[in-house]
Amino acid sequence: MSNSTNQEIGANKDEKYRHIYVIIEHFEGQVVPVSLEMLGEARRLMDDFNQKYQLREKVVAVLLGSNVRKLCDELVTYGADAVIYANDDELKYPRNDIDTRVIVQIAKDAKITKEIEPEYAGTFVKPRYMFFAADNIGRHLSSTVLADLESGLASDINKLVISDLDIRHEHKTKGQSVRYEKILEMYRPDFSGFLWTTILCLDNKNPEIQREYHPQGCSIIPGAFKPMEKDNSRNGIVIEYSPKIDQEPKIKIIKRSVIEKTIDYETCKIVVSMGRGIKDNPEQNIKLIEEFAELLGAEIGITLPLSKKPYQVSQSMDSKYMIPDRVIGTSGSKIAPTLYVAIGLSGAVQHIAGMKESEIVISINIDENSPIVDESDIFIKGRMEDVILKLVDKIKDQMQAISVRST
Amino acid sequence: MLNVGVIIKLEPDFSEGNVSYNSDGTLNRAETKNILGPHSAIACNAAFYSKVKYGARISIGTMGPPIAESALKQAQVLTDAEELNLYSDRLFAGADTLATAEVLKNGVEKMFGAVKMDIVFSGHRASDGETGQTGPQTAWKLGYTFLGNVMDYDIDLDRKVVVAKRLISLQGMDTIIEEIESPLPVFITIDPSYKSAFSTVSQRLGANKYSKEGRRKSENYAKFLKTYDSQKLDLDPKLVGLPGSPTIVYRVEKIPRAKTNRKTAIIDPSNPDNLTPVVTKIIEIARGK
Repeated sequence: MSNSTNQEIGANKDEKYRHIYVIIEHFEGQVVPVSLEMLGEARRLMDDFNQKYQLREKVVAVLLGSNVRKLCDELVTYGADAVIYANDDELKYPRNDIDTRVIVQIAKDAKITKEIEPEYAGTFVKPRYMFFAADNIGRHLSSTVLADLESGLASDINKLVISDLDIRHEHKTKGQSVRYEKILEMYRPDFSGFLWTTILCLDNKNPEIQREYHPQGCSIIPGAFKPMEKDNSRNGIVIEYSPKIDQEPKIKIIKRSVIEKTIDYETCKIVVSMGRGIKDNPEQNIKLIEEFAELLGAEIGITLPLSKKPYQVSQSMDSKYMIPDRVIGTSGSKIAPTLYVAIGLSGAVQHIAGMKESEIVISINIDENSPIVDESDIFIKGRMEDVILKLVDKIKDQMQAISVRST
Repeated sequence: MLNVGVIIKLEPDFSEGNVSYNSDGTLNRAETKNILGPHSAIACNAAFYSKVKYGARISIGTMGPPIAESALKQAQVLTDAEELNLYSDRLFAGADTLATAEVLKNGVEKMFGAVKMDIVFSGHRASDGETGQTGPQTAWKLGYTFLGNVMDYDIDLDRKVVVAKRLISLQGMDTIIEEIESPLPVFITIDPSYKSAFSTVSQRLGANKYSKEGRRKSENYAKFLKTYDSQKLDLDPKLVGLPGSPTIVYRVEKIPRAKTNRKTAIIDPSNPDNLTPVVTKIIEIARGK
């Protein structure tokens, strides 16, 4: 619609769509780690891309905020070739309405790319790729930005590859085999944790519905990629952008308050997690696990399937435990406690990705063929209700014995 | 009169006894029942709060095959909705979030005979697709202000403003609760932590009354049901379903098992003595040694 200008038609795609734009998040003067992780992955992808295609496209960090100039240099040291920042009091805290409009302005602004690459200033239309964080802010921001730019978006990505692909698709290519170049293969683990789905954002080359879709957008799971080593010798261009804020933002922030984290996996030495193995008597088994965890001063985690509330349990148990905030895995928290106790969970790949850095892993399961067994230092084969009961009794005995000895 | 819409989704029922998994851990869709998605149900509860507290009328919409009627019926039980809308057309099949949002936008614009809605709710994310993109994309296409992760809300009817609390939780940072306000219309996705609180006796009585009414209505839900195809929604077929989707699913594969360096000791707990060294180790760690 608004995106197809005359200049678009005729220009070569490599001239129209360029660079990876990475949307940076920050909080109280600090860059959120996922932003540096995205820059790291963008850097790796772009280095390979430029070598493979003999191009000179850039990693462009986009930063909105108030008083954010000081963060720009850090973004360069973590992989950005250019930083476009918009500094305005109205942008101090994330607000979907105004942030979307400013990011869309920046994404469509050919003039600003002149400072990055003067030779393409006349042809640039939109970014080639665009990365957002798959978190409370980035998930929604990516959705509204890509809705405005009328292009494709994949969420919760943990692997990215750029390649040339021969595609045959009923609608996209009208059943013909067509070569697509420089396509971002966006891998997302599905809700089961066992499957990986690759999403592509492709132009419609079918003449009946012909249309170009750029940027190819995605949101990236925090913790999925590693940031690059900070490199103070890197050079980058820092460009200030003056956004046109023609309408007052509708959302007003009245108050922000920090709440204490109810679940803290970071400072916890022991994490006890449960999976669908609690199913025979969920309420009772959760109580048992609670007792076990309390005895050890452990935090409780769950697997992804439990966050879908598969069992009828009391409302207090449900709202305390069967929640996305407790999920350990790719789509939840990645943790590295001294001891991880995996109770009645099979060990889907996406779960293992969240706990494999644990120092010691003990698992309890009736099935010795579960993948979790391979990821365990100690595997106790048995029904969780029997094993935990025995462990609780023995722990109580031994603890008592120790405290008697020490008095 | 406050006009409230809810966008819902029919999803696989992940509850024990209804869900079926293949031996490799993937969902067996053919054997799994479908229900109103749990996050859709929370969005319904949030809309119901508007009915009880502000006397809102409620319209529910869903895009899906004809069997998605069952989700509309369940949503009516929860909300006592005055109108149910099914957006159903073969042309919609295979839509990604952008093409879905296109259908839902036109659907919302036709609620209650095409009045301007005040609030539209949707769930946090579907339990099968899990993108969380459809709500905000629909909001943007409608031109409604989008508020995400809303845990609590009220409406200032005089000022026509919604006052809401929302949760912001970013990797490695403190969790923030933000109090915000925005003029109507708004599009709200509801945080999983949302709980309606009916604080006064009259609200609780009202909630009871409307709940009964909702159950009664849902027995004849077909009376409240409107079905729309792409033509009735005035949709351009090029913008919906597979033709209107920028993205495609290219490949689905098993995630390869990660390599592990652990050597596993297998313990048989039938003799409790076997557990003694394990317990000693656990206690050592718990005591920080």
